[in-house]
Amino acid sequence: MSAGYTLVICEKPDAARRVADSLAGGGANRERVDGTTVFRLKRNGEDYVVCAALGHVYGVSDPSEERTVYPVFDVEWYQADLVDESGAGAGGRISAVKKLSAGASKFVNACDFDVEGETIGFNLLRYACGGKEKGALRAKFSTLTEEDLLRSFENLEPQEGGLARAGRARHAIDFVWGVNLSRALSQSALVSGHRYRVVSVGRVQGPTLGFLVEREREIREFVPIPYWKVSGTFEKDGGKFVAAYANDRVETQSGAERIRAECGGREAVVSSVHKSIVQVGPPVPFNIGDLQKESYRAFGYTPSRTMQAAERLYLDALISYPRTGSQRLPPSIGYGRILGGLREMAAYSASVAELMKSEPKPVQGAGFDPAHPAIHPTGENPKRHLGAVENSIFDLVIRRFLATFGPPARREVVDVSLAAGEHEFKMGGGRTVFKGWMKYYGRYSGYRDADLPRVSEGDRFFVAGVSMEAKFEQKPPRYNQGRLLEKMEKEDIGTKATRADIIATLVDRGYASGESMEVSDLGLAVVETMARYAPSIISLELTREIEEKLESVEAGSQNEADLLRETVRSIATHVGDLSANEDAVGRQIDMAVMSTISKSFVLGPCPICKTGELRIVTSKSTNKRFVGCSNYPSGCRASAPLPQKGRIRAAAKPCGLCSWPVVYVITRRRPWKICVNPACPGRRKA
Amino acid sequence: MENLRQSGMPREKEGLKCPACGREAASVLCRYHEEAEERVKAAYPHWVKAYGRMEWKDYLDSVKRNPQTGQWAKEIAELLKGDSE
Repeated sequence: MSAGYTLVICEKPDAARRVADSLAGGGANRERVDGTTVFRLKRNGEDYVVCAALGHVYGVSDPSEERTVYPVFDVEWYQADLVDESGAGAGGRISAVKKLSAGASKFVNACDFDVEGETIGFNLLRYACGGKEKGALRAKFSTLTEEDLLRSFENLEPQEGGLARAGRARHAIDFVWGVNLSRALSQSALVSGHRYRVVSVGRVQGPTLGFLVEREREIREFVPIPYWKVSGTFEKDGGKFVAAYANDRVETQSGAERIRAECGGREAVVSSVHKSIVQVGPPVPFNIGDLQKESYRAFGYTPSRTMQAAERLYLDALISYPRTGSQRLPPSIGYGRILGGLREMAAYSASVAELMKSEPKPVQGAGFDPAHPAIHPTGENPKRHLGAVENSIFDLVIRRFLATFGPPARREVVDVSLAAGEHEFKMGGGRTVFKGWMKYYGRYSGYRDADLPRVSEGDRFFVAGVSMEAKFEQKPPRYNQGRLLEKMEKEDIGTKATRADIIATLVDRGYASGESMEVSDLGLAVVETMARYAPSIISLELTREIEEKLESVEAGSQNEADLLRETVRSIATHVGDLSANEDAVGRQIDMAVMSTISKSFVLGPCPICKTGELRIVTSKSTNKRFVGCSNYPSGCRASAPLPQKGRIRAAAKPCGLCSWPVVYVITRRRPWKICVNPACPGRRKA
Repeated sequence: MENLRQSGMPREKEGLKCPACGREAASVLCRYHEEAEERVKAAYPHWVKAYGRMEWKDYLDSVKRNPQTGQWAKEIAELLKGDSE
């Protein structure tokens, strides 16, 4: 073996520091190479240099300088900061790795063990280290704890190419797909309306937007059907309770009136009381989708926000690698060691002490990921102050982990039926009689107790009153980000690593907005245009088919170059169809762009003139924005100042105190909510 | 219950705009409002059955005012109401 050092390539600087400290058994020596920090250390008599990428430092693009020309089918890998601004800092990292590779005799890819990590490491080994992807070694770990890292370096494996090939193919296919369709749509709108706006359609983004549009159409076309809900008030010895009519939905007004007439003032008898004990098993360990959904349910955090917090916790070695599909916790993660660590944290010590009374054994889910276990805490205590979001996610991960070791809970479920002549009323409820795992999961368990009056079969009650309430069918709910993520998982599109970003892109592009992901006119127009001129682009089938083929590339049964050629042929056809209809496509997109922009300036109805709309207006003299009424030309002088920094978005409901619009001011720090009326009583109070 | 296509509204022509939203019209209405029109009409018998009796105009008023009614269905109810007056 030559006398060089081992060059270890990590995915991010924080990971590099942890790897270096773990290998050195303490503080490794830091030095700067081309503006980036690298670590030198000695381990078992061998020299190591640990360096880091910054996520992807190479990106795909086309060789042409022109950014509006399409179709584009030449794809090459470039230094990421030359591709777009998200790659800032890539040049320095690449240059450092190039220099360091000159003195290295051994190479270790220690990026996260998944498709993206493989691709990042593979590209650096190939391009910056001069073809060292062959012969390099792979460090595989699921947490950044010292124990896990040392174990992975003692068991280095040869670098395989399957994951990286699939990752590179995915990047290339997504680039060809996105760049051509996006340019076709954006250019059509430019030609038609003389305005340029990025209108993108990604491979997974298209079908995902399709889900939102399909639901949006159901909502906007919805016509509710009336029905009636009937309930009775039952009295005996001064006590009373309410029970609902057994048929939840009475279709006609006359039917509801008949029930009221026939039951009111007469006697009802308890015809049955069914009590049962139901066993509720503990929840399965978290994979990334489950964590994102649960975090949305518990805290309202978007999937991308949850992912970011989970990644920070992972880089701090507080939780395991979060981008996992696994719902299993193998014994190899060391249950006892993790529980022992959690016992040192005051909030969990009592729970852990209870769980450790018997041999801990977690429930396992069906989700399997060959690379990583389910998300779990490492047992390490935070060494810095965690932000509010990180703290919430950390607590959720720990409590879920503890809950998986808990015994099943038991709930008593009671169903009572009452007969009043030919009519039947019912009530039901449940209460937890044995908390089991719910005790450890705490407020996240989501079960509530509903106590019922103590009644027995044959008890007689006086029907003191029967009420009938006119109701209407509810329109279907919009997908919030949590539900959309669930839908993507169910339909098996996107990957666990990309779904959150795809949802965030739909918002950034102006296709959907708000917590309820209401689709804009632009979102509708993009899907409508695709459905008319290139329907398979937004179809699930094509996206799924490519996903399956990428899996075959990963397994080595499909050649990535063939797949790329196949995709190029398919895209060429669709782009041709769009191009042939450039005028019609452009008109449709341009009109939707204008409508979406115009609607984004509307804040709500004017509470002064009652007929106009309050809008965001920019003063021609001062260039400052403020709120003005659309009826200004007719004399309405309603106006209000606005914060000059940040993005303004109207809230769903106006101010409850003054009826003026409420807006969110979205800044880099955090969004805040404000009633725009400077004379609002709520503001004076504050 | 008159169909918008049978009313005095403009006939199908190249470049016609939907009177409800200004989008390009498939015939008289854009495809979204066409579907909404079908929904509004299909729901009418259910409302008549629910209330025992209901005039078409009263139905359109109720649909328009109902907070559960979708935006396009409301716009169609408004158009149909104007059309039946």
